[in-house]
Formats: sequence, structure tokens, C-alpha cells
Amino acid sequence: MDPPLINESSFSAANPSAYSLAEIWSLGVESGGGGQGFRMGSLGLTTGGFCESSGNRDGSAEESTVTEQSGGGGGDGKKRKEASSEDESSKMVSSSSAHDLNESHGKRMKQAGSLGENEVPKAEVEASSAAGTKLAEESTKLAEPPKQDYIHVRARRGQATDSHSLAERARREKISERMKILQDLVPGCNKVIGKALVLDEIINYIQSLQRQVEFLSMKLEAVNSRMSMNPTIEGFPPKDLGAQPFDASGMMFGSQATREYAPSSQPEWLHMQVGGSFERAI
Amino acid sequence: MTPKGVTLKSNSRKMKFARRFICTLLQMRKPRPVSLSIEEVRARGQRIKIAAYWSMAHAVGSRRAWSRALLFKLRNRARYQTIMRRRSPGLKTKRVIKNDTPGELSQTKKLRQLVPGGKTMDMCNLLEETAHYITCLATQVKVMQTLADNFSK
Repeated sequence: MDPPLINESSFSAANPSAYSLAEIWSLGVESGGGGQGFRMGSLGLTTGGFCESSGNRDGSAEESTVTEQSGGGGGDGKKRKEASSEDESSKMVSSSSAHDLNESHGKRMKQAGSLGENEVPKAEVEASSAAGTKLAEESTKLAEPPKQDYIHVRARRGQATDSHSLAERARREKISERMKILQDLVPGCNKVIGKALVLDEIINYIQSLQRQVEFLSMKLEAVNSRMSMNPTIEGFPPKDLGAQPFDASGMMFGSQATREYAPSSQPEWLHMQVGGSFERAI
Repeated sequence: MTPKGVTLKSNSRKMKFARRFICTLLQMRKPRPVSLSIEEVRARGQRIKIAAYWSMAHAVGSRRAWSRALLFKLRNRARYQTIMRRRSPGLKTKRVIKNDTPGELSQTKKLRQLVPGGKTMDMCNLLEETAHYITCLATQVKVMQTLADNFSK
């Protein structure tokens, strides 16, 4: 039951993250107190491999009693688990060899979870929520409400809907965030309040842009055909070179690009460029 | 020419679009019709519009869902038209998402029709693609405006 026992190189080499988790956890318990029974359990689950190997050595007697008790039944096991967690946490705060108790406790939690048939998903959910990148308050917030009405069966259903509603809330936040981005993009859309009106504005803006593209293409067509009729103008007037940078590059690339791009293994380009496809495309 | 280099770097999508579009325009300038009817003029304008959309989609690349959908549509347009002429319609059935809340249904439907490939997106992706599509359309309009101004001078 000495801390040097755990500080063996094999454990830290096998799963250093688990060990660090246990370390962090023990510190947290010493500072926190009784309200962290569930975080303890979840962390014990994450340090699974660690507990398996060390539990055999340290708390074999405890372990056997635990398995006997948890064979009784699901609801009973739950209550007992809670009580044991409280018990354990109080012990942990007082005792100095926190690591060994932590491991044996984690093992006990795991066994109880595997024996009670409905316990497993719940414990896993809590483990995932605690092991994820949630804040400490959030994890305690997630862990504490089921603890109060832990005896009732309905709590599980409530928790399931809670995770769904959490996902739904995240989705709604995502949507509203993107709406905000869109509002910044569309001019004159910042003052509009309401999702439907904002969507209306966006739709109007897109439609106006598409109409503008259509109009400009007609205009370009007229200009293009007129320039093609007029053989004196070769390409672009050179005065545009300075004023319009992209025009300049278009001018520079324009003359040879048709020769450059055509053999460069771009079937789409060829498909679009070779005149007949356009005729068919209309 | 540092400002030009800066413009080249910062507006690479604009540059790509302009380059491709001008190339396409130059290609399309080759046939020189003497006299055009209104339908032919309209068809030519339509072709330029398609070329503009195609250039934009190609400048964006296949990273975005809307450009992918647009490229696919334009690339297979001729093929699909011939197929559709031969076979019965309803050959290609796309997965359409219908999980929107009924309040915003009409607007979302409209938006889905406007953004290419929007019929198969969920709401989050649709809004994201819409944002990107709007910026690209604005760029396209700007470039085309500049080109038209410069041509008509």
C-alpha cells in the first residue's frame, strides 16, 4: 500500500495517461470532497487497464466482497455503489495512500457496472462526458443531477433526452453562428431581426447576384461579339494592364493559356472548351 | 509592382476565376457570326453565363460542396440531356433531406434551390455553403463588371 508500488516503471510506461489521470483525480478529491463520487468512477473506468493489474495485488480481499454484493441486483447495486463511493471518497480524503484506494475503487465500480445490466451505458456515458474536453463545472453538472434521483428508473431516460437536447442545442448554436456570418456577408442584413427575415434577405441577395451575373453575361456577350467583329482590337487594350491586375494577368495568360491548358490533361477543360459542348449544353 | 503581387496573392480565387473566364471568352470569340437572331444572342449570353459559373466553380475547386455540385451538373449537362431525351424522367433520384422545422420551410426550400447542391445538405452545411457561395458570387459579379467596363471602353 505504498505509493512507490504504483510508481513502478511498468505502469507508467504502459499507460502514462491513465496514471496522470489518477494523479489528477486524487488531487481533486483532496481539494473537492464528497460531490465527486461520479467523477471518481468515470476516471476509474478510464484507468481500466491500470486498475485490473494493480487491484489484484492490493485489494484482493475487498474485491471479493464487492463481487459478492454486486451479484444481488441492479437497483440494489446502484445504491450500494453510491454509498461505497461516498465512503471511499471520505476515506480518500483522510488517507495518504490515495492511489491504491483509487485503483481498487475503480475496479469495484467497473465490476458493479458489468454485473448490473443497465449500469454499463450510463457509466460509459459519464466516462465519456468526463473524459471529453468539458469544463469541470459541466462535468459536475452532468454528474450531479442523476446522483440526486439516482434511485429512480426514469433518470436514465431523462439523461438520454438530456444528451439529445445537448446535441440539439449545439446544432442550434452552430446554425445561429452561421446565420451571423451570413448576416455579415449580406449587406443591409444586420438590422433585420428574425431568422425567416434574414433568410429572405439572403435569398433576395443571391437572386439579385444571379440576375446580375445573367445581365453581365449578356452585356459581355454583346461586347465580346462586337470585339470579335472588329478585328482591329487585339485582345485587351493595354491601358488596362495597370488599372486592373486580374485583367492584366488574364491578358498575359489569355493568349497562350488556351494552348497551355488544352493539352494539360484536364478533361473538363477540354470538354468545356471544345466548342460543340457549349452548343449542346444550352 | 508590389501592389499587383499583393493582389495576386490575396485574391487568388478571383485571379483564377478571371483567368479562366477570360480564356473561355477568348475561345468563344472565335466563331464570328455575321448576323444573329434574338434567340442566338440569348443562347450566346447563356453560354457566357455558364462559362462564368463554370470558371468560378473550377476556381474554387472541389473542396466545396456547391462547387462540386455545380461542376458535376455542368460537366454532365450535355450527357444528361441526351439521356433524359431518350429515357423517361425520374432516372436520377437524389436523397432529399426533409428534417427542417415547418416554420422556416419555405425559405429553406428556396435557399436549397438557389445554392447548387443544396438539396442534399443539412441545415448547417447549407448555411455554410451559402456563405461561401455568396462571397464567390460577389467576386464573380465584380470581375464580370470590371471586364464588361473594360471591354466596352
